Amino acid sequence: MSAGKILVVDDDPQIRRVMKATLVGHNYEVIEARTGEDALQCLPREMPNLVLLDMNMPGIGGLETCRAIRSGSDIPVIILTVRNSEKDKVAALDAGADDYVTKPFGIEELLARIRAALRRSPASPEGGPHTFASPELEIDFDSRRVRVRGNEVRFTPKEFELLRYLVAHAGKPVTHRELLQSVWGPDYGDEPEYLRVFINQIRKKIETNPARPMYILTEPWVGYRFAG
Amino acid sequence: MKALRFTAAVLVIASILAVYRVLLEVNNTTVALTLLLAILGISARWGLAEATLASLVAVLGFNYYFLPPVHTFTVQDPQNWVALLAFLVTAVTASQLSERARRRAAEAESRRLEMERLYALVQAMMFGGTARKTVREFVHLVVRAFGASAAAFYYRPAEEVFRSGPESQAVSDHDLTAAAEIDDVSIDPSRRLATAPVRLGGRPLGSLALIGPLPSENTIRAIVNLVAITIEKARALEDASQAEAARQSEVLKAALLDSLAHDIKTPLTSIKAAVTSLLGGSAGDQRELLTIINEEADRLNTLAAEVVAMARIEAGKLHLERRSVSAADFISAALSELAGELKGRAVSVDVPDGLPPADADPEFVAQVVKQFIDNAARYSPPGSPIAISAELNGGKIEIGVRDRGPGIEENERTRIFDKFFRGRRHRFETRGTGMGLAIAKGIVEAHGGRIWVESERGQGSVFHFSLPAGGGGET
Repeated sequence: MSAGKILVVDDDPQIRRVMKATLVGHNYEVIEARTGEDALQCLPREMPNLVLLDMNMPGIGGLETCRAIRSGSDIPVIILTVRNSEKDKVAALDAGADDYVTKPFGIEELLARIRAALRRSPASPEGGPHTFASPELEIDFDSRRVRVRGNEVRFTPKEFELLRYLVAHAGKPVTHRELLQSVWGPDYGDEPEYLRVFINQIRKKIETNPARPMYILTEPWVGYRFAG
Repeated sequence: MKALRFTAAVLVIASILAVYRVLLEVNNTTVALTLLLAILGISARWGLAEATLASLVAVLGFNYYFLPPVHTFTVQDPQNWVALLAFLVTAVTASQLSERARRRAAEAESRRLEMERLYALVQAMMFGGTARKTVREFVHLVVRAFGASAAAFYYRPAEEVFRSGPESQAVSDHDLTAAAEIDDVSIDPSRRLATAPVRLGGRPLGSLALIGPLPSENTIRAIVNLVAITIEKARALEDASQAEAARQSEVLKAALLDSLAHDIKTPLTSIKAAVTSLLGGSAGDQRELLTIINEEADRLNTLAAEVVAMARIEAGKLHLERRSVSAADFISAALSELAGELKGRAVSVDVPDGLPPADADPEFVAQVVKQFIDNAARYSPPGSPIAISAELNGGKIEIGVRDRGPGIEENERTRIFDKFFRGRRHRFETRGTGMGLAIAKGIVEAHGGRIWVESERGQGSVFHFSLPAGGGGET
């Protein structure tokens, strides 16, 4: 039984080779495309569960391909890029990618991102989770209750909404803009300092050591990620 | 030649006297005025000495043949004494005036000639070329233009003497180097030699020696100024074109390295993905060997990134996207990337409330902080604390990273920011490329900030950098 069908889009044949070998070894079914155009062609035919998309390709390129995929599908897309700059990461997420991984990467990191992306793909993001539970942290989203190491902790409405949004997108980086617009409203987006204040408050409430958070991780210059 | 002119002058006066005495009967005034005219003509034509001799002969002859009593040199009427004296004074004065006018005309003519020669020299030196080529051609041009027999030029920046030919050996190299130190033109008429320092704005460029027929002192000064300006122009052009060539080559290098680094990352991606995949199911020796491959792939990746960063800095192509950014943000960004290296250490961060934001590119600045923290972790005992601080000092945001390492020796404290420099004690360590702090320095300086280290042996080091505080009220 396959863990999922992954479309690997990269112009470098060696990278496609190593990805295929590795992903097949982890029970994924792998199909390959050499360019963005090829990927868009085989997408409706193959119906993969996830796309691994190289950012720098000849032809229409990764970002354009991602936008084209998004216009007709909400299949998870992870962008792979050799550039490590904030601008490129934000551009990838803005193009509709679920996540990005910087080349070169360790395979465990990539597999973790793939698992996170696949896990949430069937769930509808509208409803979000009803509960979250780990040994130290329990959240009941319906009754708006949070228990940290057994003790109930009070959250303000904005803090709770922030936490709900991050947990609903667990494992995925959420940009400052996305968080601000979904929690504060569409007029917001350029006020990352709001987030800094609120995230610090939430961390003080749920993290054992707020300076070394385990749940709400900072994605430098990009946003935050809830490690579920 | 001179004697001939004197004889001719005397003959002219004698013939006038003879004509009036023998052929024409005129009064004495006419004779005197005719003589005066002749003397004026002589002085204008030949000069003062000839005219003076002619005046004396005229006075004597006029007295002898025309003033009563004739055929004696005695003068009876005192009025004639006055007339005779007036005649002599008028003749000599007029001669002097006429001679002066003649001399002026000659001087003007020679000035005009020197100006023409200078102009010809200026035109001849309008060619381009290096400063050395300028000097080499100048010694020939100046000889040709001014009709000197030889010229020599000591070009001080190259410590070199250029000569127009073997005749210029009359002035030694030593004389020339000495002349460069003297303040003004010096002319030695007996040796027919002139030497002059060549300077521009007080800066010595060398000296010039001219041998043979010499132009005037002022013209020599003009020549020297002209050559100084021409050399300076040639040097400025040389410097500018060298700097431009150097910059172009840095830009090209940066572009090449950029694409090379990109090309290196592609195979590295395959290697790293493959090796980390193998690592998952490995054990024992194999695991150790695969770990080495994995670590070395990371090292190559870092190296490629650092080479590109260094090349960009050196080409002046560091592309900063500056904005208002809080110190707390870039410090925490740096820390979040170093979690592994800082395991088991107490890391304190002290950023005062109300610290204004810095005007900086947050990613690059985080890279500097990361470099500092990484250094602190690498060169201090495991488990020793690291303290990071930010403060406002003189309108600048200053970041400091303090470690409890062995400290840095004084003579290494500035060199530590040089490319490829490694401290004496750490020379044989393999980790790192030796470019980290040089890149940090390049980044900080591109922001208009300063980077420095304070250190005390046995107490540890504090690495600092400053950034301009951000304005605009953003954030």
